[in-house]
Amino acid sequence: MDFASLVAQLNTGTILPELIVTATLMVVVVGDLIVGRTASSRWTPYLSIIGLLAAVAALYLQWDSSNPISFLGSFNSDALSIVFRGIIALSAAVTVLMSVRYVEQSGTALAEFLTILLTATLGGMFLSGSNELVMIFVSLETLSISSYLLTGYTKRDPRSNEAALKYLLIGASSSAIFLYGSSLLYGLSGGETNLGAIAASVAQARLGESIGMVIALVFVIAGIAFKIAAVPFHQWTPDVYEGSPTPVVAFLSVGSKAAGFALAIRLLVTAFPLLTDQWQFVLTALAILSMILGNVVALAQTSMKRLLAYSSIGQAGFVMIGLVVGSQDGYASMIFYLIAYLFMNLGAFTCVILFSLRTGTDQISEYSGLYQKDPLLTLGLSICLLSLGGIPPLVGFFGKIYLFWAGWQAGAYGLVILGLITSVISIYYYIRVVKAMVVKEPQEMSEAVKNYPEVRWDLPGMRPLQVGIVLSLVATSIAGILSNPLFTLANNAVAQTPILQSAVVSRQPVVTQQQATVKLVAPELKL
Amino acid sequence: MNLAEGVQLVSLGLLSFMMLGAALGVVLLTNVVYSAFLLGGTFISAAGIYLLLNADFVATAQVLIYVGAVNVLIIFAIMLVNKRQDFAPLPKAWIRKSATAVVCLGLFSLLTTMVLVTPWNLSAEVASADSSIIEIGKHFFTDFLLPFELASVLLLMALVGAIILARREFLPEESAVAVQQPILTLPERPRELAGVTPGSPDRTIASKPSDRNK
Repeated sequence: MDFASLVAQLNTGTILPELIVTATLMVVVVGDLIVGRTASSRWTPYLSIIGLLAAVAALYLQWDSSNPISFLGSFNSDALSIVFRGIIALSAAVTVLMSVRYVEQSGTALAEFLTILLTATLGGMFLSGSNELVMIFVSLETLSISSYLLTGYTKRDPRSNEAALKYLLIGASSSAIFLYGSSLLYGLSGGETNLGAIAASVAQARLGESIGMVIALVFVIAGIAFKIAAVPFHQWTPDVYEGSPTPVVAFLSVGSKAAGFALAIRLLVTAFPLLTDQWQFVLTALAILSMILGNVVALAQTSMKRLLAYSSIGQAGFVMIGLVVGSQDGYASMIFYLIAYLFMNLGAFTCVILFSLRTGTDQISEYSGLYQKDPLLTLGLSICLLSLGGIPPLVGFFGKIYLFWAGWQAGAYGLVILGLITSVISIYYYIRVVKAMVVKEPQEMSEAVKNYPEVRWDLPGMRPLQVGIVLSLVATSIAGILSNPLFTLANNAVAQTPILQSAVVSRQPVVTQQQATVKLVAPELKL
Repeated sequence: MNLAEGVQLVSLGLLSFMMLGAALGVVLLTNVVYSAFLLGGTFISAAGIYLLLNADFVATAQVLIYVGAVNVLIIFAIMLVNKRQDFAPLPKAWIRKSATAVVCLGLFSLLTTMVLVTPWNLSAEVASADSSIIEIGKHFFTDFLLPFELASVLLLMALVGAIILARREFLPEESAVAVQQPILTLPERPRELAGVTPGSPDRTIASKPSDRNK
């Protein structure tokens, strides 16, 4: 193969968004070296945001690409991967907004933080599109290792060290298990690394339901479930969420989780088509456990970060319903819910960061009476938490309804009923926080709120936080009422993705947008 | 069986014996220095098995990276720590040990059964002994180009991250600390234990590792 024909076959244009992110991170790290720490902290966050938004724009331009396979099958830039890469890049952009002030307050260098965050984003974006075992592993490790570094970023704080060590040890063992599963796949398929080729070769050798494939499946799911923090692979989550810098937690709970779901869809659908019943069964169990444990344990939490940690475990359980049912609507509802989750969860984290920057605490009891002192923060946090709980007419409500409707259509009645019950539980603990903030009388105000500093947005790094709160507030409330573009986006992403088309047994004709919306109204009435 | 096959079989047996023995030693010995050196033995035996499989480049890389870098680093770390601490034996430790043994044996038997039962799809191609580096290079620049390039970003980031974690930070003088919190820590205060009055700093979570994250 000569050079010219090789270059023609690579189809390099598909990774343009990732190249933009890479260029941004190089400029950030080199520019910081040249101009110094204090000078660079004025422009690096904005440059990173511009780079990430440019990557999203580049993704948008690739939407109707006719030839998504690139790098000789290593990377697949189909509509599904584009949506997930967009979610990851957006979550990183919002994370940058909320991290400027926080990182400065903790006295650490901002440019290195951004570099590692951008590398994590890069790993997640490549992971969403990787179509081959080596690529999956390298991008998974890029994401994981940068996450470990971010977790331990405030290195003089023992909580941060503990979180990083726990995350590193559990993450390394889960990577090892995942690698063992992948090596079994490689062996069973007679030396293939491309996911599609693995499935074809395994089917040809009639090993589809052999014990080796089942073991490979279990090991691979263990690796993925660690990334999406599904019970029983969730033990790291509360401690890591409590000890890490809060912007990192926000990224881990949205960006890293979205990358895990993208990997789950692609790997399970492409490489294990003959074991669909088995992986759906395993994921059903994981979804049930995650919904119950995440939502029930969250009831007892007193720290806001731990509350959000357990609630994110529960939310991952809801998203898994869409993965388990395996219908077109299931996948589309997953994507829709992840987009909704991006806005509301990042909004909630932005508010938590703002509160902890002003008062130095994240105890739920300290939020009492906040309404009197800081209405914008109260409004932002209330809207985001209510949306996470699924209160109409916010975006979280429509996301949940769509997920449950897709599950009901596919006959997963038990899962949907369990989802409804656990979301009622979740409403209780979200409302508890809102009630503490809004309802309390002035004399019931907590000490932290009594000493609340004057609200000033002109301090360095506060503007981005304000922008982050307002943006997520607007997105959470507007996207609920005007959710049609997002529905269309999620449905088109699934409809244009070949791997999902071949996987879905066409039980029902593709519902058009109008029908989908009409049917969506029906379960709303039953509630 | 001719002489070459015989030599191969004997070396395979010898290397496997060395590897298993060294690996068991790593896990079972209590002295961590012995464990570290035996780990090097495990790596070298693995390199020998790679050689028997005609994978000479992988064998060299194994010796260079795992024995030469990773293992030496581990031994350095052990030497630098230089603290001899005897752990008090746990009560009922045999329950944990036997549970671990049962789980490991179960996993081992499961995997062994799987290996024996599966009709492996073996490739009939002869391994390219002399030109393996050329083959690896070709793969790196054709179908594994993207992971190869991504690995360079990964290494850059690992380098940056390692320096961040290891470098000595400039800490301002104690008197000059006007900020309300110590440098390089989370802006949130450590959580107070339930039932402890706020403001008693000696009972905060962070000061007592055993109490953390209950």
